[in-house]
Amino acid sequence: MSKALNSRRLVKIYRYDPSVGGNGHFDQFDLNIEDETKTTILDLLIRIQKTQDPTLAFRYACRVNMCGSCGMVINGCEALACKTNVSDLPEKCDITIRPLNHFPVIKDLVVDMKPFFQKLEASIPYFDPVDESMEPAVIRPDSKERNLIGLATECIQCGCCVSSCTMVNYHENYAGPAALNRAFTLLADSRDGLYDLRMNQVLESCYHCRTEFNCTEVCPKEISPTRAIKYIQLLALKEPRRLKRQNLLKPIHEEKTSGKESLPSADSGCNWLIEQHNRRKFLKQIIFGIGTASALVVGGVIAAAAIGPSLKRIPKRLVRLDKLEAFPVGKVSTIVMNDIVPNGFYKSEIKKPVIVVRRSDPDKIVVFNTSCTHLGCTVHWDESKKQYMCACHGGAFDEEGNVTAGPPPRPLDRYAFKVEDGYLFAEVV
Amino acid sequence: MIWETSCRAEAFEGCKEKFVNMIRKVKTDVLVIGMGGAAEMAVLNAYDANPDLEILIVTKALRGKGGCSRMVQGGLNVVLHSKDSHEKHLMDTLKGGQYINDQQLAMTMVEQATPTIKEMETKYGCFFDRNPDGTVHQKPFAGQSFDRTVHKGDLTGIEIISRLTEQVMKRDISVLEEHRAVDLLIDTTGEQVVGALILDIKNGEFIEVNAKATLLATGGGPTHYRFFAPGPEKSVDGLGMLYRAAVVMRDMEMVQFHPTGLIIPGSVVAGSLLEEGLRGAGAHMLNIHGERFMERYDPEKMERTTRDIMCRSSYLEIQAGRACREGGVHIDASHLGAEFVEKNFPGMVSRCRQFKYDLARQPVPVSPSAHYIMGGAAIDVNCRTSMERLFVAGEDAGGVHGANRLGGNGICDSCVFGRQAGKAIAHYLAKNDGQVPESASGMAEQLINRYMKPFEIADGTDPFELRDRLRETNWNKVGVARTGSDLSEAIDEIDSIAGMAENARIAGLNTYNMPWNVWIDLLNMIDVSKMVAGSAMLREETRGAHFRLDCPDQRDDYGIFNIFQKRGANGTIRYEKKSVAFSFRSLDQCQKYKK
Repeated sequence: MSKALNSRRLVKIYRYDPSVGGNGHFDQFDLNIEDETKTTILDLLIRIQKTQDPTLAFRYACRVNMCGSCGMVINGCEALACKTNVSDLPEKCDITIRPLNHFPVIKDLVVDMKPFFQKLEASIPYFDPVDESMEPAVIRPDSKERNLIGLATECIQCGCCVSSCTMVNYHENYAGPAALNRAFTLLADSRDGLYDLRMNQVLESCYHCRTEFNCTEVCPKEISPTRAIKYIQLLALKEPRRLKRQNLLKPIHEEKTSGKESLPSADSGCNWLIEQHNRRKFLKQIIFGIGTASALVVGGVIAAAAIGPSLKRIPKRLVRLDKLEAFPVGKVSTIVMNDIVPNGFYKSEIKKPVIVVRRSDPDKIVVFNTSCTHLGCTVHWDESKKQYMCACHGGAFDEEGNVTAGPPPRPLDRYAFKVEDGYLFAEVV
Repeated sequence: MIWETSCRAEAFEGCKEKFVNMIRKVKTDVLVIGMGGAAEMAVLNAYDANPDLEILIVTKALRGKGGCSRMVQGGLNVVLHSKDSHEKHLMDTLKGGQYINDQQLAMTMVEQATPTIKEMETKYGCFFDRNPDGTVHQKPFAGQSFDRTVHKGDLTGIEIISRLTEQVMKRDISVLEEHRAVDLLIDTTGEQVVGALILDIKNGEFIEVNAKATLLATGGGPTHYRFFAPGPEKSVDGLGMLYRAAVVMRDMEMVQFHPTGLIIPGSVVAGSLLEEGLRGAGAHMLNIHGERFMERYDPEKMERTTRDIMCRSSYLEIQAGRACREGGVHIDASHLGAEFVEKNFPGMVSRCRQFKYDLARQPVPVSPSAHYIMGGAAIDVNCRTSMERLFVAGEDAGGVHGANRLGGNGICDSCVFGRQAGKAIAHYLAKNDGQVPESASGMAEQLINRYMKPFEIADGTDPFELRDRLRETNWNKVGVARTGSDLSEAIDEIDSIAGMAENARIAGLNTYNMPWNVWIDLLNMIDVSKMVAGSAMLREETRGAHFRLDCPDQRDDYGIFNIFQKRGANGTIRYEKKSVAFSFRSLDQCQKYKK
């Protein structure tokens, strides 16, 4: 125990300032910790904020594992900051803290949970009574349904499961583990009257789960969304007549996106969830039965629809720029392109300047990506020098986009384009 | 329908351009401040009474994540069993409150709790623990003549708030998350509350919300003490706003402490509770010398004494220099047998284990921890206040619990009076429709200037440090045990902290600026500290949670009264003692009542 007293730890925290934008960076803080067994990660953050950097932003509310506000990625694993003590991490190991994956970052460790609640809402998470009775239903605690539901209703919606799930990033319309867990608890609840509607709404989503058990592994309330998802599939097999088949077999529209998920990686390489791996193994054995059964039977029917599209290449998007006549011939015009980028679990709106060059030859149009090929700063057209200039490191490109000076490794990137109904569209990947 | 909700919330996020001077204006039928049990029950009931009402909820945290309702462990007291009765629940509540409850409110709570809990089960989908035969299980709780506490394991709050939040999603109700109300807005007459000034925590912008009716239900949460049980995001915001809006308040001296808040030196988790069942099961309370110090204070009941006496005794032991190393006393359950403790208190064992305390085998350091404020806005059974258009429900309101609250009556109060408020607001707006009222001109701008001030101060005080100082002052002088001279010193200290808070400095931008929010919290805590200390000065007796070392007796013969207060125009508080109206049960009946 004495090892945990008066230790020094290097804490690396992801920082993102919305007024600056960009990809963010990591700041390092050196901390002396009096007693690691009595210090939570939340305490560390509060201490850093009080004594080293008051601008550090993070989110918390109840501080006793009941509200699910302080989910974050601690040394590579999703966890609640208030439930993780420094002594839970390997000794002397640096501590790396970053925001949850798959959510837009508001500031530092604070993410926008809107996509989480949108997906939750879309999977009909609310109770709707099957009858008008005003007396609480008589349901024995040892009944099949209550055994099945168990403590799965105690989800505190912290988002850790979504962050840990690799599939939410690949399937735009995947509801994610938390929403499906809630759907399961209602589908299993005999008091609820929205079974068919809910089943139709969520079943498709269930087939996006690849049974990786990441959600089960990280859930701070020890719920297994994996089990919930597999159970929904099992229910669907048992009662196929209750489902509208046209809905079930509707082609699943999916897009694989690279997204802007690549935070600068500084995760300290020590995985501290070794104990939990045993739990994962155990759960895997238990659920293997359900998983295999549903995978084998349903898999045959659904495989083409479910797996097929996920292997497709990323589709290109056509983004409308403006009417063709808005770009005068013989001129270099800059226009801000409004692009909706699917990020897997959410969509973000990106405004990005593009340069449109219309030569005197009427067929000749070039649409340049304004990102400098060196480090991505925005380039500007300098009319007097007849060059595209990058202010960051002095990169310069000629009218054709070829490098004329500075560090850029290749010419400016061009967008493919299309003219339709008098409008110019850029093809964006 | 569901999607429209979020669209509507987005609609005015998009209005930004329309309002030049960085202040956005929104008009709505009903503004609800807070998103705990009281607020959600109110919203659901108002909406179901009239789905055409435009309702806007603003919450300081993420939806459903703030507030103390979520943190409820024990459960909700309600009469369901044929052998129980509303009479018994009422008398238990009055006995617990040492007779100074507003009997009308207490009666409403016990009577309406029954239909409320049934609605929560059958309409909103809560599922509480069951008896083996499938009926709703009710467990015993301290101070009750019948086992009437409905619960879901030892995490009842999560079930209640999760289910209610989903029901809010189901309806067309706008929610603004991480938006905090900073002050109530008043019209030119000074007699109507016409909405509130809201701060968007995420981007630091202010929104002036005008509403035909405003419900304040932020929950109290006495976090202005060294040890406190509510989540640290609670900061008596509602009570502070009520004070500044000069709403009539009552019983503000009544702050309940819980005897066993965990001590974790240096951690924000300190103050979180170990449940009372431990003492009930026979756990011992020990001082540094290993003595069962209750022999000195209540040799008959020992550790099984009431919450208030247990708190007092621990506090006096600590003040007498017999504190354990961590600054509190020890709770020791080891003699009960490790197996017994682990089986019966799994939640508490694991809460301790996170900090490497072994509750089943070793003494664990605990301290009294500030838990609940019985005082608040004076309301009627429909949650109306002294100001027109303003409704208050839950911990922000006072009167239901008198001088002390029974375990399990807190969430009961919130749910029942939230429901009352929702129905009352729908009824009120059906009768008083018309234009959305306007705030007094310039009021919002003036407030914004005040709240933006710390960004302009170059070399000012640190809000974290001031908050710590305020907590220490309240802990030592306005806490578990009080004296006239301590209280008078405390009032001076609070004033001086208030002066320094005016001079606070905040660094950085206004986007998600946490120290700025701590400063706003601090302003609310200061105002509430003033009310508590002032009111405590005037009650020269000991009653319920209010313990005066210099007046240690309860003086039933001396006249039974409540202390009402209201902020005057020049910032001084006007107090008024009023005799308790024994509208349903006489003092004699109350005194003679035995459980």
